[in-house]
Amino acid sequence: MLTLEKPKASVTPIKKINPVFQVKDLNIYYGDTLAVKDVSVQFPERAITALIGPSGCGKSTFLRTFNRMNDLIPEARATGEVIYQEWNILDPRLDVVALRKEIGMLFQKPNPFPKSIYENVVHGLKCAGVKKKAVLDEAVEISLKQADLWDETRDRLTKSALSLSGGQQQRLCLARALALKPKVLLLDEPTSALDPISTAKIEELLLELMKEMTIIIVTHNMQQAARIADYTAFFFQGRLEEYGATAALFEAPKVERTKQYLSGQFG
Amino acid sequence: MTIQSPHSKDLSQTNHWLLEGMKRYRRDLGAHIFIYAVAIFIILASLSLTIFLITKGVQLFTHDGVSLFTMIFGSVWDLHDGKYGALPLIAGSFAVTVLAALFATPLSIGTALFMGEIANKRGRKWMQPVIEMLVGIPSVVYGFIGLTVIVPFIREHIGGIGFGLLASLIVVGVMIAPTIISITVDGLLGVDQSLREGSYALGATRWQMISRVVIPAASPAILSAILLGMARAFGEALAVQMVIGNTAVFPKSLVYPAATLTTTITSSLGETVEGSTANHSLWALGLILLAMSYVFILVIRWIGRKRNA
Repeated sequence: MLTLEKPKASVTPIKKINPVFQVKDLNIYYGDTLAVKDVSVQFPERAITALIGPSGCGKSTFLRTFNRMNDLIPEARATGEVIYQEWNILDPRLDVVALRKEIGMLFQKPNPFPKSIYENVVHGLKCAGVKKKAVLDEAVEISLKQADLWDETRDRLTKSALSLSGGQQQRLCLARALALKPKVLLLDEPTSALDPISTAKIEELLLELMKEMTIIIVTHNMQQAARIADYTAFFFQGRLEEYGATAALFEAPKVERTKQYLSGQFG
Repeated sequence: MTIQSPHSKDLSQTNHWLLEGMKRYRRDLGAHIFIYAVAIFIILASLSLTIFLITKGVQLFTHDGVSLFTMIFGSVWDLHDGKYGALPLIAGSFAVTVLAALFATPLSIGTALFMGEIANKRGRKWMQPVIEMLVGIPSVVYGFIGLTVIVPFIREHIGGIGFGLLASLIVVGVMIAPTIISITVDGLLGVDQSLREGSYALGATRWQMISRVVIPAASPAILSAILLGMARAFGEALAVQMVIGNTAVFPKSLVYPAATLTTTITSSLGETVEGSTANHSLWALGLILLAMSYVFILVIRWIGRKRNA
């Protein structure tokens, strides 16, 4: 299985589409461990890209570079370039607070704040200094509608967010991110803690949101990638093994390892 | 117990491995009895303490004919003159408690935020023993420092004679700060990391994350921490007695002597004769203290219940 030479990655270039992120020679270390190795790739605008691969393949670490969430881990260190709107995201001088307002994130486990539904949605806006009640009220309504949660919560906006079900909580977290009108949405296995019905609802919403923003989703669920993603990237042991249009990658994987993973030979 | 069955042997007739469980059970039984016994002992101890204080405390009302109303709302306390109005003492106790909490809370929450949110693990490791050491210092030492350092300082730089609420609130505030700090730190560490990540991901700065997410999430723990500190302040006798001046008058100024329930008990107990009205009145003060500490406990438990809900 192990070979000394660097395996050839198959990265099909995506034409005619503006790349949102241009990743060049990205390496991410945790202390001395190399978690993401030599990744170079471009992600297109207004599309859903899925990152798949077995546990510990570095796909979550990779995702968390785009909004610099790895900064929270003291021993994490990244080299290379991630170009977003002509800026290198990895530049330590970059204003991460401004970056995270443009690049929203949804986590594996719904993590609503132990506050009211309303306060959850306006958290980002308030942090950005928005104080006018009319603006906040409008943002709450629009984002809850976008997350298809408005009808269920319009009468109980002052109730604790923890009173919602798991699926509702995750949609609240989505609404919370949408309130900042992000250009990119990063999702780290957003449905792994949800039941199939809530999962379907989230997927439906992502397909709708994709028209306005770029979505990158880490998923353990290959069917999910097949259902919603326009493009899919397969990671294995920190390397990007294969990347291309989802249909092509699932039907005719070019790399042997991808074929093995998709057919369930390891995972 | 024997089970008669045509298909099985009688276990009790043999030394079978299936009977090992019975031996284990007998060994466990000893430990069980011990644990139940000590638990019952503790319950009985606090129960009998309460009953004892009540029977002693109510004698002032039943035996000596002082009414509960004059005791709680009377404004003159003079044992030699037969005046048992405890209101100045109650006011003194509450003043020391509230002022000490006001002094200690910002100090403690700031320190706790440093330990829980700002400092790294190594920093926290260094701070922890310092806080524990502050808890371990006997209250007489705090009182002694208050008496020799703080009281003269107040007299020379602020005014009055030095003894009084200001000196008490500083001494008691420093004494209760470690309690508030350590419970607050526990509360902060109990806030789920995913909430911090969620806040950062929405473009919050560190201070916004702390003030809008972590502190509200930890607020029940912070509130119980402050209340536990206040309970300690309310019951503290020795250190307060050394710096408050022990004059049973309404506390009108921060720098003139006052008295609290506890300081009055400790300073007068030696002067009274067992069975006298004066002696009974001190027991009644003790009863008020006990009632107050029950109130503190109930409030803390009520907050804890709300936190779990």
